[in-house]
Amino acid sequence: MIRKYLLPFLALLGFLHAVRVVFAGSQPVVASQPIANPSQSPYPSAIAGAGIVESSSENISIGTMIPGVVAAVNVVAGQRVTKGDALFSIDSREAQAEVEAKQAALSAAEARLAKLRAMPRAEDIPVSEARVREAEANLADAQHQYERWQQVADARAVSADELSRKKYALQMATAKAEAAKAELALLKAGAWKQDLLVAEADAATAKAAAEAARVTLDRHTVRAPIDGEVLQVKVRVGEFAQTGTLIQPLIVLGKVDTMHVRVDIDENDAWRLTPGSPAVANVRGNPKLSTELTYVRIEPLVVPKRSLTGDSTERVDTRVLQILYSFDSSKLPVYTGQLMDVFIKANPGQTEPKN
Amino acid sequence: MIRIALKMLVGDRPKYIGMILGVMFSSFVITQQSSIFTGIMTRTFGFINDSPLPDVWVMDPKVQYIDDIKPLQDTQLLRVRGVDGVEWATPLYKGLLKARLSNGVFQNCNVIGLDDASLVGGPGNMIKGKLEDLRRADGVIVDIVGAQGRLAKILPDGSRQTLDIGDTLELNDRRAIVVGIASISRTFQSQPVIYTTYSRAMNFAPRERKLLSFVLVKAKPGVAISDLARNIQSQTGLKAVTAEEFKHMTVMYFLKYTGIPINFGIGVLLGFLVGTAIVGQIFHNFTLDNLRYFGALKAMGASNGTLLRMIIVQAIVVGLIGYGIGVGAASMFYHVSKKSELAFRMPAELLIVSATAVTVICVIAAIFSIRKVFKLEPAIVFKS
Amino acid sequence: MTTGVPSNIAVHCAGVTKTYTTETTTVPALRGIDIDVKFGELLMLVGPSGCGKTTLISVIAGILDHDSGECLVFNRDLKHMPDKDRTKFRGENIGFVFQAYNLIHTLTAQENVAIPLLIRGVVFDEALKKAAEVLQRVGLGERLTSLPSELSGGQQQRVAIARALVHEPKLIVCDEPTAALDHDTGQKIMGLFREVAIGENRALIIVTHDSRIFPFADRIAKLDDGKIIAVATAKEFLNGNQHL
Repeated sequence: MIRKYLLPFLALLGFLHAVRVVFAGSQPVVASQPIANPSQSPYPSAIAGAGIVESSSENISIGTMIPGVVAAVNVVAGQRVTKGDALFSIDSREAQAEVEAKQAALSAAEARLAKLRAMPRAEDIPVSEARVREAEANLADAQHQYERWQQVADARAVSADELSRKKYALQMATAKAEAAKAELALLKAGAWKQDLLVAEADAATAKAAAEAARVTLDRHTVRAPIDGEVLQVKVRVGEFAQTGTLIQPLIVLGKVDTMHVRVDIDENDAWRLTPGSPAVANVRGNPKLSTELTYVRIEPLVVPKRSLTGDSTERVDTRVLQILYSFDSSKLPVYTGQLMDVFIKANPGQTEPKN
Repeated sequence: MIRIALKMLVGDRPKYIGMILGVMFSSFVITQQSSIFTGIMTRTFGFINDSPLPDVWVMDPKVQYIDDIKPLQDTQLLRVRGVDGVEWATPLYKGLLKARLSNGVFQNCNVIGLDDASLVGGPGNMIKGKLEDLRRADGVIVDIVGAQGRLAKILPDGSRQTLDIGDTLELNDRRAIVVGIASISRTFQSQPVIYTTYSRAMNFAPRERKLLSFVLVKAKPGVAISDLARNIQSQTGLKAVTAEEFKHMTVMYFLKYTGIPINFGIGVLLGFLVGTAIVGQIFHNFTLDNLRYFGALKAMGASNGTLLRMIIVQAIVVGLIGYGIGVGAASMFYHVSKKSELAFRMPAELLIVSATAVTVICVIAAIFSIRKVFKLEPAIVFKS
Repeated sequence: MTTGVPSNIAVHCAGVTKTYTTETTTVPALRGIDIDVKFGELLMLVGPSGCGKTTLISVIAGILDHDSGECLVFNRDLKHMPDKDRTKFRGENIGFVFQAYNLIHTLTAQENVAIPLLIRGVVFDEALKKAAEVLQRVGLGERLTSLPSELSGGQQQRVAIARALVHEPKLIVCDEPTAALDHDTGQKIMGLFREVAIGENRALIIVTHDSRIFPFADRIAKLDDGKIIAVATAKEFLNGNQHL
């Protein structure tokens, strides 16, 4: 009996196994569910683009006019600043010294000017007046002597020589009195106007120099040019800050109340774009976070697409049209520099290229 | 009379077993060879199978099959996204990169770069770790076969240690950390498969102008997938095919440009021919042996119809048993394939194909016998 | 349907001829046979090899068609019957005992005996039961499950007889039933035949050239060269045996 049914039994077993293998082999592959749903267009017809978030002021790369070692950084990233707030400062000891030197020079010049302005010195006048009185007294004496001698009128009693001597003495005393008077007058007249002018000019120069030194000193402190938010701080105390346009800006500042999205559209799709079309931006990683965008403008210059490979020698053959849209930053947890998937509404009839 | 027929068949043990062996051999060879062939062909599009999410695959117009990578510009992704009816589109990088193992050996690996945000196209069957872990810095996910095999660490004593989470690899001189192990379909070239994010794959890949291998597209609900593929094709000038079409395309490429189908076709044909020859011969012999019994039965009043039924039952029994054992034996290779590089896939169609082949064999064998019996004159019973 | 044959006649042959044609030659086998076989009768056909005995029983059993003449079995003309009906007729009315027994070697005695019933469509178990009864009657009640190869020649012939009897046919045709048996066994078999096979509603035709069993016949017809040259009762035949 066993022998009789052995083969059919084996066959049944074999077939069942084969069927099992068929089922085991045809198990559908488990689909990995996406971590986050890829972003989807809300419009029936849309142009898709990659958008980079930037502040509405565009991102301001703060530079320094003065190269030097950074002495202090006054802000941290994310801090809101108002126009004129100090952001960071360059070591300014030299400039400080310069300011002080220039200030001293200014003081000297001003002192000199003040001295000129203060002339005549009051104490000198009594001396001069005394000298005038002395000269006048001497004059009066000489006058008297001469007159007396003249009245003698006897040529024998008075020698001509004596008389002329008296005459000259009188003349000398007169001159001395005049000189003393003139001296007094000079003294009383104070500083000479031209001297004063020179001194004034000197003082002004010194003042300007001092001012310049102060400005230079002030320039060592870099200040916020607008009200905004510090987006990035790439400068630290002790580092050397270069002037000029840097690849890595020292501080990036921007206005973030309204943000802009700079959307790259493939040049092949550019013709489909209608300026002013509504658009929607999705946050990468969570397409449920999306916002309506407000059209700002089209950048009319088509630019080469920034490539991800970063190889400077590569040949770029893709160009993109950039469109700016704005949105209210309070509505979305997005940050400047973040990439967003943007869908711009297109006219449905425009999807086929017209040949 | 059916039972008589069965007893006649089973009673002649050597021929009975011989015929069953013949049918078994045929169905075994046909099923096993076809299964391996199907397995190999399935491997060619294993990657497409592993990514069931996208409806449409977009690629360069000149791409012929899945491993034929002709990269696109990155902006093509955006253009595809802009096509009507596209629910979403994600980029995919696929390329062969050299991995340097801890012992200094270089191993070519299939590196897959998934869309950073959604990780669409990732492996569905994670053995260790989570797909999300790919977001960790330098993270990669390695397939289990690669982790146990070609990418395994060679210890100083020469033994292999399976690559595990936390181990590092060097991909094109860049560091990569294993954050997960996945089980995926084997690929045709059997290279280890390494999953990572698209942007990281850009770093691993040698610098090229274009690196986007495929754009994976999901159709909006209600949009016909084939229409969408056609739309994408006409609007972007790229090739857009449905997943099924892509599989078909890949298989057709291998069928057309490799010798695989011919080799296996010959194997299957040989199995069929040898089976037919053996079974036909033995069955014919069996009928000849029993001819005088059939004559006696005919004389005793058995009609041709009865005799036909008897022979058919005998053929069916031989066919069923041989077929059952044959496909059973062939299906044992499934277990072998689980533990080795053997490609093996046995869809239900194959069981039907080998059943058909066995039927044909038995019909051919039976036809010879039936002719003989039908032509038989019962008068032979009186001949000594 | 031919009428005019008395109802006690099982087989009626009149002027039956049969010629075998091959590509090169024509061999006349029967050249006009006239014979009637009655119910309850055991007729032996004897004669040298090639005399046409086997051809004649083939014609009578409806296995071969004769060329001309009339051959009625139970008053029915088998020649003009459709093949299907004739086969059915054979299965229902005629029992065969073949020279080489033709027992199917892979079946037990019981199963072999059951075959005629199975051909008629009897349920397997019932057929086996009936077969067992008949085997009992031929004295093989204890060898039901033996294979033919496990039985002696005589036992095999008993099985064959049982098979010919099991469906209770009205005509039994035997071809050399004792050819392969020794004398004693042959005698026993013939005894068995007379014992179990002869009945009122049954005719028996035995072809033989074994003279030792002639006494078991009711009548003996001697054929030579396709003709019946003598018909006699067994007694007459044996008495005249010397000069025939």
